[in-house]
Amino acid sequence: MAAAAIHSRDEALAGGLALAMHVLFLVLLVFGVSWQHKQADTAVIVDLWRDLPSVTPPRVEPPPPPPEVKPEPPKPVPKVEAKPPPKPEPAPVVKPDIALKEKQDRERKLKEQQEAAEKKKLAAEKAREAELEKKKRAEAEALKQKQAAEAEAKRVAAEQQKARDALAAQQAAAQAKVVDEYKRQISAKIRRFIVLPPNVSDAAQVEFEITVLPGGEVLGAKLRRAANSTPAYDAAVERAILRAQPLPLPPDPALMRQFRELNLVFRPKD
Amino acid sequence: MSVLSLISGASIPVQLVMAILLLASLFSWYYIFLKVFTLRRAEKQTAEFERQFWSGADLTDLFQRAVNARDSAGSLERIFESGFREFTKHRREPGTDVGALMDSTRRAMRATYQREMDKLESSLSFLASVGSVSPYVGLLGTVWGIMNSFRGLANVGQATLSHVAPGIAEALIATAIGLFAAIPAVVAYNRFAGDVNRLAIRFDSFTEEFSNILQRQVH
Repeated sequence: MAAAAIHSRDEALAGGLALAMHVLFLVLLVFGVSWQHKQADTAVIVDLWRDLPSVTPPRVEPPPPPPEVKPEPPKPVPKVEAKPPPKPEPAPVVKPDIALKEKQDRERKLKEQQEAAEKKKLAAEKAREAELEKKKRAEAEALKQKQAAEAEAKRVAAEQQKARDALAAQQAAAQAKVVDEYKRQISAKIRRFIVLPPNVSDAAQVEFEITVLPGGEVLGAKLRRAANSTPAYDAAVERAILRAQPLPLPPDPALMRQFRELNLVFRPKD
Repeated sequence: MSVLSLISGASIPVQLVMAILLLASLFSWYYIFLKVFTLRRAEKQTAEFERQFWSGADLTDLFQRAVNARDSAGSLERIFESGFREFTKHRREPGTDVGALMDSTRRAMRATYQREMDKLESSLSFLASVGSVSPYVGLLGTVWGIMNSFRGLANVGQATLSHVAPGIAEALIATAIGLFAAIPAVVAYNRFAGDVNRLAIRFDSFTEEFSNILQRQVH
């Protein structure tokens, strides 16, 4: 076999193998690698508190709104059309020989007709008046109903407002309770870290202003007031504050405002 | 998010870098396979010829065979052929000094040896440069991509991880491809350099031994 032939065969084989290699790698990369893994369950550390007040206050259901009183629209009063008086009948053609009798007859008839027309007219007037009266009464009724409904709505709104106020007050109370509880826990945690120096009088008292970060870290502790205290006790409390990090904070970030700056009083006897 | 979408979503310079690296990787694998074949064959031929040579065959016979099968002859066979040819040519000339005869024989073998070594070592330098340069090229692509993704971040008011992460992932693909090209190239280069070195030592020692044999023939 000639060397050139061997060489060209080698080249072709090498090229094919190189291509196959890359295709294989690409396939592996595309189908073999799942880029987004599901989060595996990992162990978590939790703090257990026995009596933690619930942050959300018990829900107070606002009273259901009373069924709305809809003023009924006044029923349209059927209109009584005042009928125009009937037209007088055309006078019949009279014959001259019975003129007198006919004339008398006609006059009587005319009179009768006129009377009837008069009567009818009067009745129509009366009906119209009655209708007007009715309408007026209905309007007055509607107005009265409307006023009543408004008054009712006002009363309901006032009641709801009252309920809301009560709810807000309850929530505020619950929040205050939570805040107090956490303040108590914070100071209890700090107190656990206080190493009481010897020769501290029981009357010693020290107040610290602690600036707390949202994670529970202490940004700084400032000595506010030290009434008949020894510097040793102040220092011990400050050390305890720093060692008590992170301070327990409520999970609700809305309450964090009240924990930004804490004034805590410490006494050796507590 | 798949690898393909990462690649297609990258910016043009990063894609260019990726293309260059892919090409480098393709060529380096091509040369790797080619070298594997040639070196394996060279080793086989060398072993075969050494076996024939040391089995006590007649030198003229061996030479004849080498000349006949010149195309498929191995490197060692060629070295032998050129040395023996030079030796016989010089020997026929009257009044040649033994030292000069041996010198010219050795020179002829040396020349063939160098030519053969050059053939064996060819394209090893390509593997070496792919191995050393492609990580840098990939890194360039990555740096460029990350630069872009941070520049885009400047326009976003609130920067979150999800704004930066895809850009960085895209950019990192370039480094991954660079390393993907470089690692096999470096491994192959080291392996082939060692193989070629061992072959060179075999050729060298054969040259010396063959010179001794020829010198003994003169006396």
